[in-house]
Amino acid sequence: MNKKAFNIIICTLACTIVLTGFLLCILMPKEDYSYSERRELADFPEISVSSLLTGKFMDSFEDYAVDNLPFRDTLRSVKAYFSYYLLGQKDNNKIYVHDGYIASMDYPYNKDSVEYASSRFGYINEKYLKNSNVYLSVIPDKNVFLAKEAGVLYFDSERLVKDIREAMPYAEYIDIFPTLSIEDYYKTDSHWRQECIEDTAQALAEGLGIKLTGGRTAVSSSLPFYGVYYGQAALKLEADTVTCLTSSVIEKMKAFDGQNGKDIPVYDTDRISGRDPYETFLSGPLSLVTVENPEADTDRELIIFRDSFSSAIAPLLAEGYRKVTLIDIRYMNPDYACTLAAFENRDVLFLYSTAVLNNSETIK
Amino acid sequence: MLFSSIPFIYYFLPLVFLIYFLVPRKFKNFTLLVSSLIFYAWGEPKLTAVMLISIATGYASGLILEKHRNTKKGRLILCLSLLIPVAFLVYFKYADFFIDTFNAATGMSVPLLRVALPIGISFYTFQILSYQVDVYRGSAAQRNPIDLACYITLFPQLIAGPIVRYTDIEHKLKARTHTTEQFASGVVKFTVGLGKKILLANTIGSFCTAFDGASEKSVVFAWVNAAAVALQIYFDFSGYSDMAIGLGRMLGFDFLENFNYPFISKSATEFWRRWHMSLGSWFRDYVYIPLGGNRVSPARHIFNIFVVWFLTGFWHGAGWNYIIWGVFYAVILIAEKFLYGKRLEKHPVISHFYVIIITLISFTIFNRENMGEMLSCFRLMLGLDGAPFITAEALYYLKSYAVIITVAAIGSTPVMKRFADKLPERARYVLTPLFIICVFLLSTAYLADGSFNPFLYFRF
Repeated sequence: MNKKAFNIIICTLACTIVLTGFLLCILMPKEDYSYSERRELADFPEISVSSLLTGKFMDSFEDYAVDNLPFRDTLRSVKAYFSYYLLGQKDNNKIYVHDGYIASMDYPYNKDSVEYASSRFGYINEKYLKNSNVYLSVIPDKNVFLAKEAGVLYFDSERLVKDIREAMPYAEYIDIFPTLSIEDYYKTDSHWRQECIEDTAQALAEGLGIKLTGGRTAVSSSLPFYGVYYGQAALKLEADTVTCLTSSVIEKMKAFDGQNGKDIPVYDTDRISGRDPYETFLSGPLSLVTVENPEADTDRELIIFRDSFSSAIAPLLAEGYRKVTLIDIRYMNPDYACTLAAFENRDVLFLYSTAVLNNSETIK
Repeated sequence: MLFSSIPFIYYFLPLVFLIYFLVPRKFKNFTLLVSSLIFYAWGEPKLTAVMLISIATGYASGLILEKHRNTKKGRLILCLSLLIPVAFLVYFKYADFFIDTFNAATGMSVPLLRVALPIGISFYTFQILSYQVDVYRGSAAQRNPIDLACYITLFPQLIAGPIVRYTDIEHKLKARTHTTEQFASGVVKFTVGLGKKILLANTIGSFCTAFDGASEKSVVFAWVNAAAVALQIYFDFSGYSDMAIGLGRMLGFDFLENFNYPFISKSATEFWRRWHMSLGSWFRDYVYIPLGGNRVSPARHIFNIFVVWFLTGFWHGAGWNYIIWGVFYAVILIAEKFLYGKRLEKHPVISHFYVIIITLISFTIFNRENMGEMLSCFRLMLGLDGAPFITAEALYYLKSYAVIITVAAIGSTPVMKRFADKLPERARYVLTPLFIICVFLLSTAYLADGSFNPFLYFRF
């Protein structure tokens, strides 16, 4: 090859890259939603004199162009593999992988966040829980089991537990850390696997002074479950499976979505093929849900102030109660939520993960 | 619009190049002017008018100055015509700084203007000033307003340089050829710049962000961060310059190089012959030499150096840290010239070490938002605040970014270029296309993945 041919090749190559990119950008069909990132993608912005003069069109177009880039997920994978394996970076956008488990690095310890969360819980306790039996339990995030081994940054979860316990002297602490290990969590998602937390439910039940009926069987979905971290990691990893624990007692339970005023199934198996299969458990992130157990041999009721982890464990705890109410004060003002539930002589459990407590700005 | 963005690479660039190479020769400058105005208005829709007024002033004053060269009237016209673009620069870039300083000095509270800074105003203002001065000194004025506007707004160099002199591309504006050799060379240069900016500068930038957000700072982290900041700024700006030069070549222009491996310098004086060369030569030709340069008394020489470096610092930003940065270099350059410069030349290892330390200090000054931050950074580097020598957090980030920082450090020297030059021609024929494919693929992948894509020199 001579210099002239080489130059022609370079020119042709460059023109091919940008022209192909251009044609793909304008001709490829556009997606509305990114399943891997679980978010709406930017639409083509409105063109108007005002949007052009203010620069709003240009800003929005940049978002649109990036969001609708052809083969975007594949390109994100290319970047992830390059970062992990060629540059030797330990995390990619704070997501790391160890032993097939994906987790999000959570560092440093945010004492202010824990204090804020405990101040909100304290407010609820003082205003509404004077005649209630108040309990506290902290769910270890995946990082507690994974980060040290993976060699990424992590905070001292024991210090978090110590601080929140000290800030909530009115609550009896139930320790569930010893009942859990990394195998009890989905590999690609942040949550725990319901089929692996029977010991945890038992520990909570003992702390709450109730008996669980047990006798559950596991029913697995045949569909793959790609959790919230899968899309963020952008790596090709093995999918999880959603498995629900059921029993004659659980099958008779009735769940009600107080946020939207409608009955919901305890396990909504249609959601396994939806955007977030973890929503199978009590229909996912709802601010107010009740689970009634007509088979209960007690009239005791439990109110759980919770994050998303409770969706999977609530049906198991409901075996020992007539009614379990789940309140998520990340999505609902606590004063409003508390007018919808009765607390007198009820058991009240604050059940939060270390991840939410360390990043509690969403708590209202 | 940034060169290192999806809208530029996959929308603007192919469309502009298609139109540019399809239109007849006589419309090429007009095509470039329209494209450049769209490129500029993309980021500054309203403030495009400021640039157009400056260009109109430059055009009109050029025609008048041509007729009144070397006369008192001509000198007066020159001063007045320089005032308009300078007034815009002062108003938009420095007004709030002056008000702020005045308020601090007097205890008054004159409200700040809070005007938006037009992108690239420092660059295009300097181009207009150089055009006006060159015409006054004897260059022919441009009679075609489209050609002059095309020179000033030329999108490859509009927002971040290099500062192109009118005299350097005057003939190319009138008649330029487009060859596959030049286009291919531009493609390679652009690709190198793209890789420098996205793969190196942005990735190192995330290390610097990690340092700024670190829960526990340490001495080692601070020093490595200082090196990372220097590398980030170098790859960011030299990458952008490479892209500009590459685009210029593809369009038939020859812009001068802006960087020449500054980190291998053996003195600060040499460093500034290799760093942002277009700015250095601008100040040399339009400020330093008119002040008398070095052909004056030592005291006046020192004064001239101070003036040039005060202005160089101030050009970079309306903040005291930039002025201190400029004055810092003035002191170092004067010391090298009058005290230890010759001794330094005899000790290559020491001189390299010296330049690295000077560079780390200078970029720490340059990179901090305010004096308080700057001082606390130096205290940290010197271990004065009882900060630990190293922490687990620092170790984590050092390990995580070790490869990229090492690659960047090697890439900031001519080692890679020498290696590439030594490759047999056949190997280069195979590796160059592969290099282009890999850089475009990885850069697009990084742009698709992340939002971390700032351009540091935008603020100048």
